[in-house]
Amino acid sequence: MNSTRRDLFKLVGGSVVGAFFTPAPWRLIADSALWSENWPGIPRPARGEVRTRFTNCALCPAGCAVRARCVGDQPVALMGVPGHPLSHGALCPFGLTAHHLPYLPSRLKQGPAKEAAETVSAAISKCGPSEQVAVLDLRPGRTASWTYRRAMASVKNGLYLAPPSPLGGSAAFDLQEAKTVLSFGAPLLDGWGTPGNVIAARENFRLIQAEPLESRTASLADLWLPIRPGSEEALAQAIANVLADRRGQGLGGAPADSAGRGQGNLAAVTGLTEQQITSVAEELAHNGPALVLDGGQAPAAMELNRLLGSLGRTIVARRETPVPEAWKKAAPVTNLASVPDGSIRVLLIDESAVDGYLPWGTIERKLVRDNPLVVTFAWSRQGYGRYAQYVLPTAVYPEVFDDIPPAIDSVAAAFRIAAPLVAPPAGMVNPSEFIGGLAGLPAKDALRERADAIHKAGRGTLFTYAGAQSTAVRDMNPDDFWKALNEGGCWLDAVDESGASHRFSWPANADDEKRSSAPPEDLPLVAITCETRAAAAPLSPLMSKLYQESNLRLAANHAVLNPVTARACGVAEGARAILQTRCGSAQIEISLDSGVPPGVVKVAAGAGMIDLCGGPGGHPTRAKVVVA
Amino acid sequence: MDKQYIARGVKRCSTARFLLWIAPWLALLAFGLYSAGLCLVKGLNQTNMDNRFAFGLWIFLDLTVIALGAGAFFTGFLLYILKLKELSAVINSAVVIGLVCYSGAIAVLAVDVGQPLRFWFTFWYPNVHSMLTEVTFCISCYLTVLAIEYLPILLRNRKLRQVPSFLVFEHELHKLVYVLAGVGTFLSFFHQGSLGGLYGVLRGRPFAFREGFLVWPSTFFLFIISAAAVGPSFILLTTWLVEKISRKRLVRPEVLQLLGRISGLLLAVYVLAKTVDTLIWINRTSPDAGFPAAQYYAWKPFGTWILFAEIVLFGMIPALVMLTPRLRRRTGWLVSAAAMACLGVALNRFVLTVQTLALPTLAFDKFLSYWPSWQETGTFLAVVAYGVLVYSVSFRYLQLFPEERELKAEVQQEQEELRVMAGRY
Amino acid sequence: MTSEKKPGKTARYGMMIDVDRCTGCGACMVACAVENNIPPAHDGADDRNGITWIRVFQVDNGQDYPNRRSAFVPVLCQQCGKDAPCVAVCPQQAVQVDPATGIVGQMPERCLGCRYCMAACPYHARYFNWWDPAWPAGMEKTLNPDVAPRMRGVVEKCNFCHGRWHAAKQLAAADGHAIEAVDYVPACVEACPTGAIRFGDLNQPESAPAQAAKNGNCFRLLEKIGTEPKIYYRSKKDWVRQIASAPKPGQIAPKLAGKETSRG
Repeated sequence: MNSTRRDLFKLVGGSVVGAFFTPAPWRLIADSALWSENWPGIPRPARGEVRTRFTNCALCPAGCAVRARCVGDQPVALMGVPGHPLSHGALCPFGLTAHHLPYLPSRLKQGPAKEAAETVSAAISKCGPSEQVAVLDLRPGRTASWTYRRAMASVKNGLYLAPPSPLGGSAAFDLQEAKTVLSFGAPLLDGWGTPGNVIAARENFRLIQAEPLESRTASLADLWLPIRPGSEEALAQAIANVLADRRGQGLGGAPADSAGRGQGNLAAVTGLTEQQITSVAEELAHNGPALVLDGGQAPAAMELNRLLGSLGRTIVARRETPVPEAWKKAAPVTNLASVPDGSIRVLLIDESAVDGYLPWGTIERKLVRDNPLVVTFAWSRQGYGRYAQYVLPTAVYPEVFDDIPPAIDSVAAAFRIAAPLVAPPAGMVNPSEFIGGLAGLPAKDALRERADAIHKAGRGTLFTYAGAQSTAVRDMNPDDFWKALNEGGCWLDAVDESGASHRFSWPANADDEKRSSAPPEDLPLVAITCETRAAAAPLSPLMSKLYQESNLRLAANHAVLNPVTARACGVAEGARAILQTRCGSAQIEISLDSGVPPGVVKVAAGAGMIDLCGGPGGHPTRAKVVVA
Repeated sequence: MDKQYIARGVKRCSTARFLLWIAPWLALLAFGLYSAGLCLVKGLNQTNMDNRFAFGLWIFLDLTVIALGAGAFFTGFLLYILKLKELSAVINSAVVIGLVCYSGAIAVLAVDVGQPLRFWFTFWYPNVHSMLTEVTFCISCYLTVLAIEYLPILLRNRKLRQVPSFLVFEHELHKLVYVLAGVGTFLSFFHQGSLGGLYGVLRGRPFAFREGFLVWPSTFFLFIISAAAVGPSFILLTTWLVEKISRKRLVRPEVLQLLGRISGLLLAVYVLAKTVDTLIWINRTSPDAGFPAAQYYAWKPFGTWILFAEIVLFGMIPALVMLTPRLRRRTGWLVSAAAMACLGVALNRFVLTVQTLALPTLAFDKFLSYWPSWQETGTFLAVVAYGVLVYSVSFRYLQLFPEERELKAEVQQEQEELRVMAGRY
Repeated sequence: MTSEKKPGKTARYGMMIDVDRCTGCGACMVACAVENNIPPAHDGADDRNGITWIRVFQVDNGQDYPNRRSAFVPVLCQQCGKDAPCVAVCPQQAVQVDPATGIVGQMPERCLGCRYCMAACPYHARYFNWWDPAWPAGMEKTLNPDVAPRMRGVVEKCNFCHGRWHAAKQLAAADGHAIEAVDYVPACVEACPTGAIRFGDLNQPESAPAQAAKNGNCFRLLEKIGTEPKIYYRSKKDWVRQIASAPKPGQIAPKLAGKETSRG
């Protein structure tokens, strides 16, 4: 048979036509669509066995229970644990994205730990008689805090410093009991206490929010009192006057007139009417049990609680989580304000767990003038690392192995461990081991020792997350107890039958700011900070959804002005400007909103903003805004 | 130097002069290609479009050039189907304009979509309910038709027609011209219409949404009429421009006046239809969707002036001018009216693309505005440069204006006579 | 109009969002991003070109201080009914209303990136990938293996965590029964700390969305347009219910209406 070129063409032509009757070309066409989707550079998520692990969130004192969905050993999603007696399954946006934190680009990867240890030891030994060595613990109440207290007890002139807490740590607010809550700017619905607990209790009480800005809490409160900035004390005083009058009222007697004229002045300071103030006071008195909360601006608000008889009802004494006896020989907790200025030679700051940043100015003036040594343990340089001589890198949650002290609204003592979900990278420094090491204290097993002490005390129950079960501690052996705490569990104290409320004493007013009566002319505005959580805490890049890709939360170093105020300052929408306070200045970006009161600049706390604008709770500061 | 490529009997400027003319356009094209390249390589974040302004300068440009390029199909329809013989003077130019407009539009679309390599999905998984499917199919087919219509013009080039097979091919193709014109009209009818339908079916945008006839919203028909109206105007405008730039007489004034009259007539019909449609929309369609029409014009800077400008200033007035014989005979009036008509259609496309997207639909939306980035503008300018270049080359080497030779002879004769008369005195 | 379907056969998943409970914390927004492998913002991204499948808006009553009152409204794909505006307009049939669940599904693999569906959607629920996704080094380890990351040039939107529905259906099938309404919830519903977002099957009368459909305090956004969304919002406050209707310059819309935010 002679095959010709024509035959070849016929074969090829026929094959091509025939091929279209096979699946081959159609599959290729369909597959090319998939190829066009998966270009190089688009990551492919790793596959593997899906497991569930549990831990507790170490980002804030709420310490919410966390259920982690893991692929192999890598957490890929974090969610709350429904049915948890404290957090009730809630987890905030920070906690939901925390599994990204180990990969933050700005994270410190190494630090001169050895050199720092040597320098600190040398400096301690060279301390003068009146000079002090201090540890500043930004989240007191942890097991690590005890390590610091014990270390400072054995170091000469050792001081343990901690920021003051509203109830001194030995009492808690019982929201479940309250029927009326008056909050002086406390962000009750925006990160206060244990969010899950607040939400669970919310239906029970009527919320009155007194604050200058319409915050999230104010917008959801049953009543918002738009008081002038800085007038919280006046409002508290005015309400106290009404309550005192009612008390002093005899049967059918008229209220005393002595507060009458003063009351008018106080009302004028707050910007409210006397009737409004009276009606709030009446509500507190008659719609009890009442609770007054303070966001940090009006310690005198706590006085109202005393007048209202909250103690024993909505403020309950709380026993401390048991500690080993040997630990009780520890330095006392000292308030930074009571330290003499210029007396601290060596300062070690534990920034690995932060409840609230203190403005650097309040710390700096306690340091000696010449070459103080500041060592900070932090995840980045953004916090006190800007001022420290040594910044030693620490693990971030969910790498940390730390415990979380009970939150301010946890009526029973609690012990929960943030069990690490991923291993920290090499080169991380453990602050309690470092500081413990300075005093020759082995701190590695401190958490185990604490757990054993709790077990020994024999009270309370253990709630395990995997099975949502409660077991009495008495019915467990110490090893199982420890294991359960590490695999997702929470120890809760038993109810204090002894009625120990009489042992509770109100903490002293820690207000060291002297407020001048007349606003300075050169600083005509009041700066109120918001978003303090985001100030220097590690933020997942996904939080850009809230701060950058939407207007939901104010991004760092962004400020909002009333249009009238903006015109007076000569700035327009979107303008770059400078915010100046007594403590310095910073660049901000302006946006306008007529919902912000005139004369106020609402600014989101960036890394340096806390230093500029004051302490926790958005303490109002006098400020000025000028065009950049 | 290239005299052998230029048709006999017509005069073209020297090669050097021509190169001087196309040099800046080439530079613009290069810049534009670079801009487009950036958008393709780095992604559409190079533009200022965003999730609110999903369509921007490019879509507006596409719609406008396709409306302006409608002269190609409409002139073909008028010449070959309705037998208006005078229009044979401009049909070649119209085809080139059409080709340039459509190919430019498709080139910009290739950059505008996020995944240009997936262009074939529309053909493979077509959605019969989507106006955009219809647009894609018809424009692709019509571009093919235009390319086939351009082929004879190209093959009649002085050098190319020396190849016998080209000559035969061109001759055979010419027999198909009626079929091509018919197919072109049919395809154009549908894609011009469905470009309007793109906006008219958007139930989620009451500003653009219109009721209509069966599945076709009124904008379907309005777009066809406006494209047919402005096609001749654009041919008029470009012909006058080319005459001015080349300093030659290319068509008889009567042809331009005929174009003007056709344009004016259709523009008048369009203005009437648009007015009726707008009234229905203001009084029924938009309020029924819960959007009182007055509120669209309360967002600065889009006040009612824009509606007035679109319908009256750039619609009714040029229509009236072009329908008045006395004014039609004055070139200044005619060309101005044609330009205004083109602007009016561009304004209409702008309103439907940009204003639709700028207007908020939710109560808590903001009114947002948009300005194209330099990359977007560069790509747009690339299309303009491409159009000028293709047209310039076609004008130089191909016979776009069949009457040019005649008119040149007439002009020479006039000048001869003038010289003779001058010489007598 | 709800069709009479046997429960467990076909579902029409919907939501009831209680605006009075939403604190604007944003947990839903980040939980969605975690579940669906949405990349963090690129440099230069803002609220106009970021990707937030669910986005919480702060709305207010249009008054100045001190009469300003705000509320928070999560807006996501409204999962319109069978005539969803985006379904009809896609030239590639990359959008489909799933008959089994009523979910409006988007296929990024089929998407050409023409963005016509984005122009069609009145709720601004669709997002375009203006950039290629980029995660900081190492963070790709935290991606959800059940959802494919999208590259640039395609449109994406909320799909009620359709992947979770599939997983629940498989689990239910392995257990030998049909999927029940309680077997699956989207990530935002699971994450919401206040329980403001409730999820359920509109075909089942006792579900939260079905109850919401009958409640006088409940409303849907832009009802008059005829999209038949399956997301119901609830509020006792009159001024909040006003946001369901068309924008009115200078009234409900923020005071900056007329003051444009321009890019360019």
